[in-house]
Amino acid sequence: MSIDNFMKNSVTGWMSSHGEHSDIVMSTRIRLARNLRGRRFPIAFSPEEAKDVDQLITEALLNSEENGYSYMKVSALPLLERQVLVEKHLISPQLTDPERHGAVLLSEDETLSIMVNEEDHIRIQCIYPGFQLDGAYEKADRVDDYLEKKLPYAFDEQFGYLTSCPSNTGTGMRASVMMHLPTLTMTKQINRIIPAISRLGFVVRGSYGEGSEALGNIYQVSNQTTLGKTEKEILSELKNITLRLIAHERRSRELLMSKSRLALENRLFRSLGTIAYARLLPSEEAARCLSDVRLGIDMDIIQDIDMTILNELMVFMQPGFLQQYAGTELTAEERDIFRAKLFRERLEVGDKRLKEEETGE
Amino acid sequence: MLCEICNERPASVIFTQETMQGSTERHMCERCAFQSKMFHFDPNQEPLSIQQFLSNWLGGSEPFQSQQQAKEPLAEGPECPECGLTFRKFLDIGKFGCSTCYDTFRERLPRLFGKLHNGHSTHAGKIPVSFNELFAVKKRIEEIRLKMQEAIEEERFEEAASLRDEANELKRLLTDGGGGANVN
Ligand SMILES: [Zn+2]
Ligand SMILES: [Zn+2]
Repeated sequence: MSIDNFMKNSVTGWMSSHGEHSDIVMSTRIRLARNLRGRRFPIAFSPEEAKDVDQLITEALLNSEENGYSYMKVSALPLLERQVLVEKHLISPQLTDPERHGAVLLSEDETLSIMVNEEDHIRIQCIYPGFQLDGAYEKADRVDDYLEKKLPYAFDEQFGYLTSCPSNTGTGMRASVMMHLPTLTMTKQINRIIPAISRLGFVVRGSYGEGSEALGNIYQVSNQTTLGKTEKEILSELKNITLRLIAHERRSRELLMSKSRLALENRLFRSLGTIAYARLLPSEEAARCLSDVRLGIDMDIIQDIDMTILNELMVFMQPGFLQQYAGTELTAEERDIFRAKLFRERLEVGDKRLKEEETGE
Repeated sequence: MLCEICNERPASVIFTQETMQGSTERHMCERCAFQSKMFHFDPNQEPLSIQQFLSNWLGGSEPFQSQQQAKEPLAEGPECPECGLTFRKFLDIGKFGCSTCYDTFRERLPRLFGKLHNGHSTHAGKIPVSFNELFAVKKRIEEIRLKMQEAIEEERFEEAASLRDEANELKRLLTDGGGGANVN
């Protein structure tokens, strides 16, 4: 398969580089956790109950007027495809646990995914590119309204939506924005910001998992509190925090530009050189260089590279995608070679330009 | 680290078990921990210390309980009739097994939620439409009852009787048309 075709078939809605403040906010995600009344949660249910729940939810959605959902039973998917769904953030790693009898319903553009039998019976998830908290919430909320009309939810006057984990009880809503904060990281200001944000009932995490090191300077900011506040209040608080982080990051960028322009340009162009020409590209290095090149594009230091390509590479540099593109399983070293190859092909623009200059056109 | 029971999922629950030889740690995934019977009280088994397991989940801020209390079977707390989860096990795993758990542990939850949710323990957000309708009917019945009370006190018995009929009609609506919604 040609790389262009592969990309075309693999890119999902939220990977495009559109949306407000899309230079700093890469994507916005809303997740609503819901459960059916009178049925045990996935941690405690039997396989029969699991199948029942799956059938109820799936029927309610597939017969909906909001058509176009495709249904996938997770256990029926090849391992690699499951991994790709996880890497696209369309399902959680937990859903791949075969005992949960998990399934996923995906909207055509993949901005909406409904996980069945994850930690809760229903997890409605909407991911949008850029900073679109209200839009993403409205879309998830609409699916929630629709499902609620057809299925009896576990809800309590005092505690709200009843979820398996007490950290979701109440609204069941987790709202998060994924942000690229390279200069706040370079200048170590992020270390002071993270504890300040957590005092407000929000958390900041590195993008890939729970590790302390944020891969590619990407952070996820999300609400920790789901009780005692309305969805609107949570969203507007998160909006404020995000806008303040954006302003902070912009200010640091300007400062770096005025104080140490040459050093900055040197670093960003070296990173571009690495991803455009390397023959071995481990994932940490790829993430770091992508972050630099992204910063270079945002600051108008690097031109001629489409941000959408960088967004794609962020996702495609992960093991599942690489192996899917390769069409075979790869060892760690083979992946580093393949990743380098993929980056070179995708960033061919630079190569072509060089060739043109050499031939004097 | 992988769960020592299923060897498949990551171990996210650590039980510390006190024995005569000292303490041993057991690492399990939450699913195996939920299903495991070993943490139900067995008089022949050395009990876990309650502090350890509260400190696991509540960050050690719970007041210490005496060794005496920890040995009482009561320490397991109420048991959910639907899924069999005890309050003690809930604290250790950190997950409810079903929505009935919320009723079973109702009295103990506000404190716990307060710790998790910045001091909040009551829902303020969205209410499903079906529940909203039920709340409205309940409120209406309450209003009719008050009026009925007034009517009786003022000896307007005919009016009181018709108000009573109206209230009964609404109550029937709650039990028939409510789809079994749990609103009390
Ligand atoms: Zn296990
Ligand atoms: Zn239960």
